[in-house]
Amino acid sequence: MLGLSLGASPHFSYQPLWVMLIFMTMIGWRCMNLWRNWPLPSKQHRSLTWLQLGIAAIATLLLVRSYGNFIGRDAGVALLTVMLGLKVIEIRSHRDYYLSCFLGYFLVVTNFFYSQTIPTASLMFVVVIIMTTCLISLNSPIQSLDSRSRLKLANQMLLQAIPLMLVLFVFFPRIEGPLWGLPQDAYGAKTGIDDSMTLGNISQLILSDEIAFRVKFDGDIPNQSVLYWRGPVLWETDGTTWTELTRKKQNSATPNISNTHSSYQYSTMLEPHNNHWLFALDFPTTLPITLKTHLTQDGQLRADAPVRQRVQYQLNSHTQFQFNVGSDVHLADALQLPADKHQRTKQLAQQWRNHTQQPSELVQLALDHFSQQNFFYTLSPPQLAGDSIDGFLFESRRGFCEHYAASFTVLMRAAGVPARIVTGYLGGEINPVDGVMLIRQRDAHAWTEIWIEGDGWLRVDPTAAVSKERIEHGINTIMPFSMRSPMFISHSRQLFDIWQQLSNNWDALNTGWDQWILAYGPKLQKEFLSKLGMPAPNWQSMVILLTLSITTLLLIISLFLFYQYKRHDPIVQLYQRFCNKLARLGIVREPSEGPLDFAIRACKQLPTYQHQIMLISHQYTQLRYSLEPSVSLVEYRREIRQFNPKQE
Amino acid sequence: MTRALSRIYQKFTHVRGRRLFIIPTRFGFVYAGFLILILLGAINYSNSMGHVLSFLLGSLGLVAMLHTYRNLAKIEFIQAYADPVFCGQSVNFNLVFANSVSQHCYQIEVASKQNKSPSWNPFKRISGYKVHQVIPKLNSEQNTHIIVALAGKQRGKQPLGHIRIASQFPLGLYNVWSYFNNDYTAIIYPKPSGQLTLPVSSEHGQKFHHHQQKGLDDFSGFNNYRTGDPIHTIAWKAVARDKVLRTKQFTSLQGGQLMLLWQDVAQLKDTEARLSQLCLWVIQAESAGMSYGLTLPNSTINYGHGEQHRHRCLTALALYD
Repeated sequence: MLGLSLGASPHFSYQPLWVMLIFMTMIGWRCMNLWRNWPLPSKQHRSLTWLQLGIAAIATLLLVRSYGNFIGRDAGVALLTVMLGLKVIEIRSHRDYYLSCFLGYFLVVTNFFYSQTIPTASLMFVVVIIMTTCLISLNSPIQSLDSRSRLKLANQMLLQAIPLMLVLFVFFPRIEGPLWGLPQDAYGAKTGIDDSMTLGNISQLILSDEIAFRVKFDGDIPNQSVLYWRGPVLWETDGTTWTELTRKKQNSATPNISNTHSSYQYSTMLEPHNNHWLFALDFPTTLPITLKTHLTQDGQLRADAPVRQRVQYQLNSHTQFQFNVGSDVHLADALQLPADKHQRTKQLAQQWRNHTQQPSELVQLALDHFSQQNFFYTLSPPQLAGDSIDGFLFESRRGFCEHYAASFTVLMRAAGVPARIVTGYLGGEINPVDGVMLIRQRDAHAWTEIWIEGDGWLRVDPTAAVSKERIEHGINTIMPFSMRSPMFISHSRQLFDIWQQLSNNWDALNTGWDQWILAYGPKLQKEFLSKLGMPAPNWQSMVILLTLSITTLLLIISLFLFYQYKRHDPIVQLYQRFCNKLARLGIVREPSEGPLDFAIRACKQLPTYQHQIMLISHQYTQLRYSLEPSVSLVEYRREIRQFNPKQE
Repeated sequence: MTRALSRIYQKFTHVRGRRLFIIPTRFGFVYAGFLILILLGAINYSNSMGHVLSFLLGSLGLVAMLHTYRNLAKIEFIQAYADPVFCGQSVNFNLVFANSVSQHCYQIEVASKQNKSPSWNPFKRISGYKVHQVIPKLNSEQNTHIIVALAGKQRGKQPLGHIRIASQFPLGLYNVWSYFNNDYTAIIYPKPSGQLTLPVSSEHGQKFHHHQQKGLDDFSGFNNYRTGDPIHTIAWKAVARDKVLRTKQFTSLQGGQLMLLWQDVAQLKDTEARLSQLCLWVIQAESAGMSYGLTLPNSTINYGHGEQHRHRCLTALALYD
């Protein structure tokens, strides 16, 4: 039962409150039954049976209301949890007990649909141990095996199972999923960059410590200030929300990129975000080999299928490049603004436009405006009512990168300069433990690109005008410690350093876990087996290898189980032989009987042999317990060999 | 190396000639079903930890198989014996099992089946066992005995029958079992009953025998000590005199001598009734302290007295046909 609760506990965070409420009530009820003898639903307690049925009915109704059906990941898990809770209070027979144990195992696997981290995996082991102990106690009465030995046996069995599990994990031929259609909600909402941007979106992300992707550079690592990881490009706006171009427009042409020197090679491991785009260092000049991808007209690297598992790809990027220098087909879209919005902003832009027609000067004017007019970069911008751009530019003047990017774009468009917003991540932190750069959700960023004839699309990051720190040293320098670590640590610099060190190690461990364990699928398996020396790993050879290694392992385990190296005391062994000889005549030594008591009893039953029996028993006690035995082992052995009692 | 290997081999073949059978139980199949479900789910969702869990549980299942097997592998059936009983009483067979290894064995179920002509149907051979008892624990390197009670319905020899031991420990996913064929039997005496009184003066019975019966009542001289003589008969004073162990001999005159004859019960209508009557007489004669004998159409037992003699007579009656 403890196992069930533990197994269910991770679901608390994913499931609606009432599911857990029902589950915990049922568990509590059962506990009270065990401790205080509270009645359970049964034939004697009809009313309780009705109560239970009532709860089941209510739960079913609630399920239908919250999820619409029973099919699907969340609804299925909720159903399983509730039903398991109800099952717990009506465990009566062995069969019920077995079933709940098996369901408990099943509940563990449902956890993994949500999270596959190291803590979850450890929890799985704990739950499996508890469930196994439950199964053992089902099969052994308490008087013969106490709880501690049960737990020990369960641990022992699990330890023996682990090598087998590893072999299975490595060699079991992996099949590419899915086998059948997945339910709609198979991949839940993930935090991360979205394909649309409303002011306030990205600043929510900075609270998230989650890893967005990891990058390992081969060779040089570029400067922090050029680590722009390009994601969705936003063009269209209705005044509050910015969205991408339509697919058709995106794919209407290929971008024309020319680049100069300094190229960086790196491999990226992207966490699943259930969207098409892949993040690449601005600007990728090769396409990944391992994935089917394409580059859109506005420079997004998009995978053909949504990224639903962790993917890994190799890229080559140039940080200095020219983008569509000659012309761009969608320039008109980069000038669109809603007619009736941002009136004050448009006026300001109009003033600047009257002043100069040069795009580069207009850009400078806007940036100067940000840096000189008391604008602040803040991680917690105030909520903006009404026209958000006007509100930000003329009233609050406190904003996050998205505010600057959006208002800058509006200003540029209003001034007649084609502009668009690029979202993605800026910066990244190298983990000194394994040299992998971690890009977290809190590194999310938005910047702008403007198009200038002869130069093409140029990156302008208006945030730089207010906060150079953010661009040059990453978000961590701006964030106070308290936002990056638990409360009690943030007071002391030293504690924080230790914490940082630990979390670096933890991150490195997680990187390995994600890269080797969680990503272990058909592709990685082939790669790994080839490295092991299998010329062409196919499923036939894998099955052969699997069978061979499992047989070997089982043989080793059974050798371990059956062949006991424990050498027994020859005195005891000989005495056992003596006892066996007597047992053949029906004189059996009780476990509680001492050798002398046994000898006296045996003498009564076999008076003919009493001399020999007494002699051997005395020799045994002498040899075994006396410091200076008066007989030798040889005599003792001869005596036992010659002892051949027969029924009178 | 070869010696070490052959030693291992000997350890393994310690259970000579005995076969262990193992198949999954109902719950074992359900477990396998759950495993397949989990594995399919893991493949479908490409869930790596799902794979890990299903592999872990699968390996656990394999390891459980070894453990279940081991729980039974080293149990030996040493011996069985039963005291003779009268027809109608239950025969209590005392079965001795030995656990020769240093691990305890748990939850051993003992069942038996009466020998019948083997059927051509192999399923019939494994069915029909009656479970007697579950031994909760067989201690390591010790013998354990249990009592199997069978109904003694018919006089004669009651075989113990085939013995089957089985176990599902530790996880209940597998059932392992093994048979012990044996020819242990118990003697069932006829049921003592009848209305006829003990014949006091039959013609044979009146003959006086000068044959000395060794007894306890009157001292009649010394004998040299022989192994097996009861200690209390040793003449300790004589030992003190010349250091030779002697036993004191006694004679006792019986409360009469009696030969129980088949003819005496000829008036009864069938063999069973006659045997029951004779059985009753034997018991009565024994308790009356007589010296008695038994003459059956095919055998004769000479005069005698005592527990052993009574057993001989009753066995002759039990096995009469």
